[in-house]
Parts: sequence; structure tokens; C-alpha cells
Amino acid sequence: MAGTIQVERISKYYNRNRPDEVRALSEVDLTIAAGEALAVNGASGCGKTTLLGLVGCMSRPTSGSVLLDGRDVSRLPERFLGDIRRRTFGFIFQQLNLIKSISVLENTLLPLYPGKLSMKEMKIRAERILARFDLTARAGVKVSRLSGGEQQRVAIARALIHQPQVIIADEPTAHLDSVLAAELLDILDELNREGKTVLIATHDPFVSNHPLINRVIRMRDGRIVD
Amino acid sequence: MIRLLKILEFALSSLARRKFKNFSIIVVYSFTIAVLASVLLLTHSLKKMAMDVLVDGPDIVVQRLSGGRHDLIPADYSGIIEKIPGVGRVQPRVWGYYYDSLNHTNYTMLGIDEERQRFVMVDGKAPADDDQCMIGQGVAGAQHAETGMDLLLIDGNGIGYSCEISGVFKAASDLWTNDLVLFTKDALRRFFAMPDGLATDITVEVFNAREVPQVAQKIKRLLPDTRPITIDEILHTYESIFNWRSGLMLTIFTSSLIAFSILAWDKATGISGEEKQEIGILKAIGWDTGDVLTLKLCEGMVISATSFLVGVSMAYAHVFLLDAPLFVPVLKGWSVLFPRFHLVPYIDAYQIIVLGFLTILPYMASTVLPSWKAAITDPENAMRGV
Repeated sequence: MAGTIQVERISKYYNRNRPDEVRALSEVDLTIAAGEALAVNGASGCGKTTLLGLVGCMSRPTSGSVLLDGRDVSRLPERFLGDIRRRTFGFIFQQLNLIKSISVLENTLLPLYPGKLSMKEMKIRAERILARFDLTARAGVKVSRLSGGEQQRVAIARALIHQPQVIIADEPTAHLDSVLAAELLDILDELNREGKTVLIATHDPFVSNHPLINRVIRMRDGRIVD
Repeated sequence: MIRLLKILEFALSSLARRKFKNFSIIVVYSFTIAVLASVLLLTHSLKKMAMDVLVDGPDIVVQRLSGGRHDLIPADYSGIIEKIPGVGRVQPRVWGYYYDSLNHTNYTMLGIDEERQRFVMVDGKAPADDDQCMIGQGVAGAQHAETGMDLLLIDGNGIGYSCEISGVFKAASDLWTNDLVLFTKDALRRFFAMPDGLATDITVEVFNAREVPQVAQKIKRLLPDTRPITIDEILHTYESIFNWRSGLMLTIFTSSLIAFSILAWDKATGISGEEKQEIGILKAIGWDTGDVLTLKLCEGMVISATSFLVGVSMAYAHVFLLDAPLFVPVLKGWSVLFPRFHLVPYIDAYQIIVLGFLTILPYMASTVLPSWKAAITDPENAMRGV
């Protein structure tokens, strides 16, 4: 099954060889099986977001390798990574990273613009996914006018519209109340049952203890400790 | 192709989102292009009109100098010039200026005889009798006159003079004929009370164009009190005058160029944190560097093309519909200060291409380069605005 991720002795430094050098990850090894739902726990600043970014080809490790279905993607030029990100990953960012000056529909469509679908097909797909997240009535509304929960659902719709194999969520319940957080985890659970790999960074025990999660790893100071 | 159209659609919506900023850019950009295009179109149109007339003119004009100033020349000098090998037709010309105090305009008065058949850009015909004349569009406008009517002037003795207008020059020759009144030579001599046997200058045709400088030298040797002026010198003088004047205009409007340069430099040296973050988001969700560059190229092209079209259209309207009221006092020169004339549109594709090259290319570069820098950055950094 596609979606197996292997992380081999990766380290990540910011501001390397400068006085303000930061070691965010230190020789981390991790294997995530296709279809697995993994939670990464740890306090703020322990390296969870950096690990997710490296796994999702959002940045490159200082050393070590990231293998996606056996292929080392950590040394590929940037021009290939866009395609890999689009075909493989759906990101739900901690800060949501929506373009707030455009509508819900436009934000949701963003990952499909570089693809081969026509605008008509893109809109049909967007209508379906917005309906799934109860956002049909808000399709034409600018994201800046939505509540935090609604924005979170737009971010999820955007992450899923291109039907990625791996869903990466960074603190996905941070902006949600307990009801919405439960709803979100149920959605991710449903997707996981469909065969999607789910990788969640969180320090929320509610997420770590959810039935969705197959495995929990803990991080501290840039290392996996448990 | 579908991909490109989709990205173009997104580029248009992206531009619409920042409509005030983009509108401001288009206004400044269009104004800059309009200024540059106005100078180029006007200069080119004036040059073209001048060259169209001059190209059929005499190869050499011989003037007599007296005290370093232009003086009347003996008409029999033409006999001496005719004997120079390679010289064709030699014609003494009679011409001068007339100030119309009623209309506060200057007219150029020219006497013709044998050469009358050479005036092809005429509504009507050249004067055949001493009581006929042919006039330019500016004179016709100032006098509210047309073919068949009488033109009333005051002659050199202060006596009223009337002649029938046998023809009016067409607008295409306005640069040279706008303020022109043509008579027969005899009629004009009488009008100016000019002594017999003298002319204003002498025109010379040379069979072989390459021999014009040598013929001019021989005339100078044979007739030391004369100044032979070749057609190349005249063309060169006009070219220099128009180039100098357009250069002067460009200098005057350097401020607008500087403003545009600042705008371009501002864009070239960086994009806003919001734009960087947007590029980071697009990359994070699967756009590659090429997609981002296509998007920015589309945005730049839409702004450039819109500004270029608006700027060139404004310049066209300014120069050819409104007769360049902002620049014309500098570029037309003294000889047409009084009679107004209408510029005939001449647009050179080469000029438009050069204008596009000078304005669109720097803007496109200033748009794409910083976006390219952001686009090759890891999405994680770009989203943080790093």
C-alpha cells in the first residue's frame, strides 16, 4: 500500500554555524506504515512540527534521509517536491495557513489548480467536500469572516480535496472546542479507515487517547524518547 | 493548457484581491508609458512628415550670404551652376514671409513656375495665373478660406492684394505646407517688390546622388559668396532637431521615469510578507516553483499589458487626436507656432516593440525575480515570511 514513510537518522538545524544555531531534531529514526494513525506527543518546542515538516517534504533535513515508499525524497530538488506534496500529502497546519482574503471555495480549490482537472470538475469536487464539512452555505464567504471552527473545517477540506494518501495534521484541535475536536477526529478516523495514513502532532491527551490513534510516540528536545 | 488557463484565472482573482494596490501600479505605469510613447509617436510623426516632403526636394539649395546673413541671390548664378558636370535642373526660387496682422499668424510665401506640376498633395490645382494662389491647411483655417474663394493680403508697398485660391494642400504635407501660400514667381516678386534678376535662393538637382557633396564643393568654389546646403544636411538638421527636442522632452519627464524606476526597484528588492506567506502556502499544498512563477508571470503580464495598452492609447489620443498639447510647443518648433496643424498618425511597429521592451521587460523582471526567490525557498520558511 502506498504511503509508507521511513525517517532515517534525520537531524535538523536552524541557523547552522551561527551564534543563534538551533538544533530542532537530532538523529531521529521513525517508520510509519501505510494506513497507520500515529500521534506525536511532546511539549511545545520539542520538534514535533519540524518532524512533520520534514516528513511532508516542506523542508529538508540537515542530515539523514526521508524515504517515501522506499524513495529518498530528502535530496530531491525543490521542483520535484511540489508534485510529491500535491500527490501524496494533505496538510492541516497549526496556524491553518488559509488565504484569508479569498473565499472558502477558492481556498478549498487551491491544491487542484496545478492538476489536470478542469474547472468544472474541480468545482464539483469542491462542492462535495464542502458539503461533507457542512460548509456549502459558506462557500462564497471570505475566510476572514468565518469563526475559528469554520476556518479549521476549511483547512481540512483543503487538505483532503486532492485525495492525498497521507494526512499530516499539526495540533489540529488547537482552535476547536471539545465538540468540534471530536468531530474532527471522527473525520480523520473515517479517512484512516479508508486507508489513509494519518500523522498528528499534538500535546492534547484527548487526541492521543482517541480510538483513531494506533500508536503514540513522545518527543523531547528533538529526540524520540518513547 | 488547462493548467495555464486555471492559473491565469487564479491570477486574475489574485489581482482583484489587491485591486487598490494594482490599480495604483497601473495608473503610474500607464502614465509613464503614455509620456514615453507620446514623445516617440510625436517625434516619429514629425520626422516622417518632414522626410516625406524633403525626400522629393532639391538635392542642393544655394543661398547667397552677405555679412554672414542670407541675402537675395542673382538669378543668373543658375547659369554658372548648370554648367557643372552632373547637374540637372537648376531653379532660382522666390519666397519670403508674410505676417497676417488680422489673424496674428505668419505665412510662408513661395513663388513657383516650372515646378508647379510637382505638387501632388493638393485639393484643387497649382496657380496657373498671376492672380491665383494655393494655400496650406493652416492658412485656409486662419482665413476661413477654401478653393475658389479670394485671399486678401497687403503687399510690400502696403497696398491690398487679392488672388483666387486655386488649391489647398492636403493635411499629409502639413508640416511643410500648413503656413504656405504659393504664387507664380512673377506675382510674388511684385507682391514683395523684389528687384528683377534676384531670387531668394537657387535649387539644384544632381543626377547622381553620390556626387551631391562634390557638386556642392564646386558651387562654393565657383561662387564664393554662396552657401550650398545639401539635402543630407537638411535631413540631418531636421533629424537632429527632432532628436534633440525629444531628448529634451524625455529629460523633462525623467521625473516620471524615476518614479517608475522606484516602483520597479521596490518590487524587485522584495515582496511583502503577505505575498511571501501566500507563495509558501501555495507551495505547501502542492504548487511547484513553475506554477508559482507562471502565476506571477500571468499577474505581471496582465498589469503590463493593461498599462501598455492604456498608456499607448493615451499617447495616441494625446498626439493624434488632441495634437499633443503638452509637448507640441517644444517639439513642433517656431515655424508652426501660429498656424495649428493636425498630425497624421504614423506608427512604427519597431518603436512600439522598443517601447514594450523598455517598459514591460523591467516590470516583468521586477515582478518575477523576487517571486522566484520566494518560490525556491522551502515552503516552511516561505510561510513564515523568511
